[in-house]
Amino acid sequence: MGKARSDIDGLAPTEIMGWSVSDTVGAYDRETIFDYIDGAGEVYRAYDFREVKVWRLVKENAPDILVEIFDMGSAEDAYGVFSHSREDESRGIGQGYEFRGGLLCFWQGRFFVCVLVEEANDTTREAVFTLATGIAERIPASDGLPGLIGCLPAADLHPESIRFFHLSSSLNYHYFLAEQNILNLSRDTRAVLARYGTGPTCLLCVEYQSTDLADSAYGSFVSGFLPESNGREVIEIAPGKWVAFRLQAEHVMIVLEASTESRASELLESCARRLTEVVQQTGVGQ
Amino acid sequence: MTESTITRRDFLKGAGCAAIGMAMGLPVTAQELPAQTAKSRVVLIRDKLAVGPDGKINGEVIQRLLDRAMIALFDKEDPISCWKQIIRADDIVGIKSNEWGPLPTTTEVEQAIRSGVMSAGVSEKNISIDDRGVLDNPLFKKATALINTRPMRTHAWSGVGGLIKNYVMFVPEPWKYHDNSCADLGAIWRLPVVKDKTRLNVLVLLTPLFYGVGPHHFDKTYVWSYNGLLVGTDPVALDSVGLRLFQAKRQAYFGEQRPIKPVAHHIAFADKKYGLGTSDSDRIELVKLGWQEDVLI
Repeated sequence: MGKARSDIDGLAPTEIMGWSVSDTVGAYDRETIFDYIDGAGEVYRAYDFREVKVWRLVKENAPDILVEIFDMGSAEDAYGVFSHSREDESRGIGQGYEFRGGLLCFWQGRFFVCVLVEEANDTTREAVFTLATGIAERIPASDGLPGLIGCLPAADLHPESIRFFHLSSSLNYHYFLAEQNILNLSRDTRAVLARYGTGPTCLLCVEYQSTDLADSAYGSFVSGFLPESNGREVIEIAPGKWVAFRLQAEHVMIVLEASTESRASELLESCARRLTEVVQQTGVGQ
Repeated sequence: MTESTITRRDFLKGAGCAAIGMAMGLPVTAQELPAQTAKSRVVLIRDKLAVGPDGKINGEVIQRLLDRAMIALFDKEDPISCWKQIIRADDIVGIKSNEWGPLPTTTEVEQAIRSGVMSAGVSEKNISIDDRGVLDNPLFKKATALINTRPMRTHAWSGVGGLIKNYVMFVPEPWKYHDNSCADLGAIWRLPVVKDKTRLNVLVLLTPLFYGVGPHHFDKTYVWSYNGLLVGTDPVALDSVGLRLFQAKRQAYFGEQRPIKPVAHHIAFADKKYGLGTSDSDRIELVKLGWQEDVLI
């Protein structure tokens, strides 16, 4: 994950619809994040989180509005942290946003931004959207989604279920695979996970820094999760629960909990084809 | 991988496991449980008046709830006898609370517990209530007995925050227990600072947070007045019952299954890996008292 200079101050919210910025601005880094976000700090630390700045906007006889701008170090990690908990995604603010209750979160460039008001009504909702739009407009545009997402076949994909991450702790958050890090995930790996169809079927694709590392991780996965595979790439691990897996250069692809052998194979093949195309087109994995 | 590891396959093949174990993603079969002869008793007690429409907690009602729960839990005639069963007059007692801003344990619950401890003959100067300062608290350092209490809520990194997780402040670097969705929180209960000291657990279910959004994982939209306390000696059983309640509430609220994320498997790990208690609903005796409307479990 590359270095990036923090420039959050230039994105600070300004007065809006009678709300003005109070004097106190909070600033927290990787070490102090727990002082601000009790418990959930690990969500950010699982990515290349650099710092967050927090502004409170106040208005007489109206609920406060909280603005939090996270510098995630890179656009892919800003997307990653956005993807961590979103249940839906809309277009029109930043490079994707979600509005739930009184909370609007979006990502743009290397920044992840949350605007929160405790009481959502027509007025506060307008203020939240206006604030978020204004901040997004001040952030330079960046490349789109992490290239690895291109390996996900479109058919039966639940787009809102796509998660992008690096660490084993993140994988286990979304899909408990194993107590230990059997896929050798690290800050240098990229991983994408998504759900397919109506059941629990998931597709996981991990990109390693080299073919050697991918090969080693593949071996670790097979011995730790499917020791009986004996060279087969599709296995029924429980009644009606099929796993398909393949090593392809720097990538390990795994279909989890497909309902039939053919479905597992089909999804794996489809992912492999797309991955080949993505590598050729974008250089992912190069 | 040279050493064995718990994987998802362990619970996929555990079709006959207790429902709670499966919900947590781990096998919890009777054969694998530590030898037990009795069920873990858990008392759920509620009162419609425990929380007012303005959100204010009624201290008198809380005291009555705790008294009744103690009697039901320990099968005694009166609450003082119950407290005397678990606390000696010469004990030094730390009440491990939780001060998380949006949803603290509440002063009313803390004071009801303090009152109970004092009824066992403990001097007020030998009782302390603390959360984040427990490691530096002189009284906690020499505590001979602990009472563990906190509200239950969904948690961004561990699925739910309950009684097992409440002891994370007894370690200097809590983030060291964050791996694998805090799976190993049960290990903290083996540390000398707490080991074998916990006499009672009170899971506060007055206004639980059953769904979290945003960086702080808090939105009062998803807090509901359940007006209850869950009381017992087995923290794993209490957290397991609390987890069942949350799953039921989410089903009722959303009209569909909304699994808690991440899976709160630290509860099953506390059972299966650390032997701290039982997460198997077949081995939990749930006693329900008081207000039954929308009890959900």
